Amino acid sequence: MRLLEFAAIALRNLRGYALRSLLTTLGVVFGIASVVTMMALGRGAEEQILRQIDKLGITNVIVNSVKPPEDKSANAQRSWVLSYGLKFADRDQIVETVPGIDAVLPVHSYTERAWEGSSKGDVIVHGVTPEYFAATKTHVAKGRTLTEADERERRPVAVVHQQLLRSLGHYGDPIGYELLVGEQLYEVVGVLADEEFQGLMRKALKDPEHGENEVYVPYGTVLARIGTRSFSRRSGQFEATDIELNQMVVQVGRQGDVLPVAHMVRTLLERFHENRDYELVVPLELLAQRREYQRVFNIALLLIAAISLLVGGIGIANIMLATVTERTREIGIRRAIGAKRVHIMTQFLLETVLIAFAGGVLGIGTGWVGTQLMAGYTKWEAHFTPEVALSALVVACGVGILSGLFPAWRASHLDPIQALRHE
Amino acid sequence: MAHPHTARSRTALIEAHDLRRWYGEADARVEVLRGVSLVVERGEYAAIVGASGSGKSTLLSILGCLDRPSAGSYSLAGEDVLALRDDRLSELRLREIGFVFQSFQLIPQLSVAENVEVPLFYAGVARGERRRRALAALERVGLSHRVHHLPTQLSGGEQQRSAIARALVHDPPLLLADEPTGNLDSETGRRILELIDAIHAEGRTVVLITHDRSVAEHAPRRIRIKDGTIESDERRGAAA
Repeated sequence: MRLLEFAAIALRNLRGYALRSLLTTLGVVFGIASVVTMMALGRGAEEQILRQIDKLGITNVIVNSVKPPEDKSANAQRSWVLSYGLKFADRDQIVETVPGIDAVLPVHSYTERAWEGSSKGDVIVHGVTPEYFAATKTHVAKGRTLTEADERERRPVAVVHQQLLRSLGHYGDPIGYELLVGEQLYEVVGVLADEEFQGLMRKALKDPEHGENEVYVPYGTVLARIGTRSFSRRSGQFEATDIELNQMVVQVGRQGDVLPVAHMVRTLLERFHENRDYELVVPLELLAQRREYQRVFNIALLLIAAISLLVGGIGIANIMLATVTERTREIGIRRAIGAKRVHIMTQFLLETVLIAFAGGVLGIGTGWVGTQLMAGYTKWEAHFTPEVALSALVVACGVGILSGLFPAWRASHLDPIQALRHE
Repeated sequence: MAHPHTARSRTALIEAHDLRRWYGEADARVEVLRGVSLVVERGEYAAIVGASGSGKSTLLSILGCLDRPSAGSYSLAGEDVLALRDDRLSELRLREIGFVFQSFQLIPQLSVAENVEVPLFYAGVARGERRRRALAALERVGLSHRVHHLPTQLSGGEQQRSAIARALVHDPPLLLADEPTGNLDSETGRRILELIDAIHAEGRTVVLITHDRSVAEHAPRRIRIKDGTIESDERRGAAA
């Protein structure tokens, strides 16, 4: 059968009832628009989080020291120095006893005040080994990262955010700048690339309060010059803390070993840290959780989409039934002249499919605009891909066929004689 | 204009035997046709005359393969109509019959030329050929100057001419006309009847249904129908 010619007839009929056709499509337009918008935003959110999880390193298990909840009953015996968190011994034990590990990268951090003339700012200094940069996908925009030689010779060098130097009032070449942190002078050798790494995930690797005021120096340098104790002024009084390791990045050789390694590390730490002064971040687990959330979200999305499209489809079916009644005589004439049932069926079905298709196209357009507006307003990421548009179109046509089946069947089964007499 | 159907005249195109048609069942049964037997040869021009309610419209529906008799047998162009499935009936109508109705039955949203093209569309004729043949058919009925008008922009006579063009465009052997002049004034009606006479003269079989004796006078053969049976069947002299 010549579908194109039937489509041309259908198009003409729809044009004949332009306003009605337009109103009929609206249900599908809004249904598809909402589906498309939610799909684009859902995918955007997923991409963003996957990227962040990827940045944490899918084969890493990250262990952070956290301040344990204060024990009121222990107040009397409280020492002047608050000691908690991961110990050097923990690291050694993990390296020695947990199989499947490539390396355990130590991180020791302390907070201090940086100075430039009379301007000052709080910074957090991370003592890290050279491998840390690759393991956490931290890149420099300028200069270099830390090297084995820096580590071995405990050089006073630092990798910083450009933003930090600007906030201190240094606008010149950052490389070679002598940064004064507390009483220590560090030579800046590298400037970090702009941080794309924000939001919740940042917490897993870095202190969220310090934003870009982070300074990376060799691990050995920190331990040699500062030691493990640090002093800070909190709520008007000095506080001394003794944390040996603020973070360990456990690098696992194969992705398949990540969960067993995480389990072993967890078991091991539980034994020695009853006060739970650490937390484990397993990107692979986050990924799995994230996938599960996404699945739930997708199901909810599908339901909403199905309902709104059902409503749209019922709208089309309703109007098409009215159209069939209105055009009963035309159907009778065509049948008498020699049209088969399948011809009549095709004609009406094509009309509903065209309506739904047009609704799909308009819906995709509306959805695109809606996505841009929402993404612009909320700063969410949106991924409006061709697959999103294509699947929306397929769904729209499906709605058209389903909602057209009954009216088209009715039209094709009218009695020609009755139809011819219809006023 | 020589016509292929001329050669095949004098063989039966319509052969109906003991056609009965009733509606409803048992006590409520209303019998509209009570045993009509009828043979129409190719090339004949027959008028079926009867008052309203005589069953002539039902007979026309059956002869036109739009309705099936409750009992009896009917063959059109050698095909046993009662044995055919619905879409084969559609094909048979498309091949054998051109319909002309009292109320013209043009599709209002299509232009005159497009209306005339409709049978060719269902016959699967290509677009250019469709338009060519539609224009030829319209020329035949004298409507070449109205092809792009909508039916509502035409007078009744012009609408009926369009309908006749549509009935002829796919070149069927049989023209079935149901009160073709019923909605026209007498002068216009007369000219439509002259057109039908001319079509018959080309060799086509014409069966015309009317309640109007003066209309029936145009036909060489007149079949009177009353209360669902044939009352009389007369030919005027030697058949034309």
